[in-house]
Amino acid sequence: MSAATTTDAPTRVGGVRALWAGNPQSVVQRGLIAARSSSWIVVLSGFFEPVFYLASMGIGLGSIIGDVQTSSGVEVSYAAFIAPALLAVSAMNGAIYDSTWNVFFKLNYGKLYEGMLATSLGPLDVALGEILYALLRGLLYATGFMIIMQILGLNLAWTAILAIPAVLLIAFGFASLGMAVTSYMKTFQHMDWINFVLLPMFLFSATLYPISVYPEWIQHIIMAFPLWHGVELVRGLTTGILSPEMWWHVVYFVVMIAIGLVFTTKRLRALFLD
Amino acid sequence: MPQPAAGATVDDGLDELRAEAMEWGRKPRGLGSLYVTEHMVRAMRAYGWTIIVGALGQPVLYLLGLAVGLAALIDAPIDVGGEQVPYLVFVAPALLMTSAIAVASEEFTYPVMAGFKWRRYFYGFNASPLSSGQIANGVVAGAGARMGVTVVLYFVFIVLFFAWLQPDATRPGTAWMAIFIGLLAGLSFGIPLMAYAASIEDDKGQFALVQRFIFMPMFLFSGTFYPLATLPLWLQWIGWISPLWHATELGRVVTYGQPTPPIMIVVHVVYLLTLAIGGLVIGRRLFEKRLAK
Repeated sequence: MSAATTTDAPTRVGGVRALWAGNPQSVVQRGLIAARSSSWIVVLSGFFEPVFYLASMGIGLGSIIGDVQTSSGVEVSYAAFIAPALLAVSAMNGAIYDSTWNVFFKLNYGKLYEGMLATSLGPLDVALGEILYALLRGLLYATGFMIIMQILGLNLAWTAILAIPAVLLIAFGFASLGMAVTSYMKTFQHMDWINFVLLPMFLFSATLYPISVYPEWIQHIIMAFPLWHGVELVRGLTTGILSPEMWWHVVYFVVMIAIGLVFTTKRLRALFLD
Repeated sequence: MPQPAAGATVDDGLDELRAEAMEWGRKPRGLGSLYVTEHMVRAMRAYGWTIIVGALGQPVLYLLGLAVGLAALIDAPIDVGGEQVPYLVFVAPALLMTSAIAVASEEFTYPVMAGFKWRRYFYGFNASPLSSGQIANGVVAGAGARMGVTVVLYFVFIVLFFAWLQPDATRPGTAWMAIFIGLLAGLSFGIPLMAYAASIEDDKGQFALVQRFIFMPMFLFSGTFYPLATLPLWLQWIGWISPLWHATELGRVVTYGQPTPPIMIVVHVVYLLTLAIGGLVIGRRLFEKRLAK
């Protein structure tokens, strides 16, 4: 390992070579090995959160509300309306949790990244590796939730299967941005502010009711936030009501991922290499 | 420990010293719980802003986001026991109780663990004249103080909110009692949790599990967002055993006068008190056992 460092070191002068050793999989592998020694029940419990929400809201509120109109004007049952939103929300929460709390701890207490960057790995390897690891977990949760939706008959079209890659796209967007933001945080108290951003996004983004209940100017604000795009994308896929405008949601997340990655890599570089 | 040579003069000196120590110890011994409370409250100043912003922001977000948004979807009033209530009026007391219990789930978990394990300040208190029971009391009172701030702010917000949206729906004569029910709700959930926290030796993510498998289902299946009777019977038991449901029912009685048989009011109060007092008895015993180790 140390031999690789010395031979690689002189090539770290600039450009992508300085940031990228093409080896993010070793960071993913490290995450998987570390997960083995931590409590698997805690990891598994993340899956239940959207399931509990679906049961509570779908059964209880569903019987009061009945059918709901989606943004494309089609009536679906209340459970089928909220299930895709809960899927998107849990993708957001999972990605943010992994890329903030976990990264914060590794950054400030575990001093993990200092060790990683002392090897041939560059900041982009570390950022991508951490994010890919978070996505593996997200994939597990999303697949489990999709199976439940299928059993309950809430997947209304075959396109629902595309919701899984869509969820990964959403998680990727949140994770890459979340990690960059985390690098600015210095104390645990700062972490609480993340919830002040996530909670209103969860409550207002057409998750539990359509945003048509708001006046138009509020609707425009909500549409600027990423979760709304995620919810609309997944809902379109699971209900099978597709439209070409849905590509804009995809574009939104692709741009978000790009910005997040550039930002995170820069931050890691500034923290450790410069 | 080296023993001084047994001589009359040394013994006298020791007795005098002991008497002096007892004298100095008497005051902290008498007010011990308060001293611990003071410590807990002072420690909260480290995240004072988080407490205030959380206590103010949560009701604003939940009431505007959830209650008003859903209320637009649920245009028919909620039918409880034959009486019709606007959706917002129905949800508000439940959200108030939830806020107290959310504070409890924060203050009675990691801070207790820190006192025993990470920062070990409970052992520090215990090395002074403070007794283990007083330390447990002080933790309860400290958390109670924070709950008080949260519940009062929430209540004030609800009053202002209703003055604006639903002026005739609530009963100003009894609504203030929701503050005390909220406190009781937080304590009835939090004190048994404190006892559990005192029994944990190693942190293996137990509190995350409490959050996911106790707090979250309790919040979702306690008739918070719709009457409990709406749920199928096989889910209703979650409400029956959850302190949140009992507190919410009481809150609905005092804020808008939900029709409830008097015997049920007694059941709610007794259930909450039993949890709180039973938790304290067990918690104090666990504190004593662990601090004596």
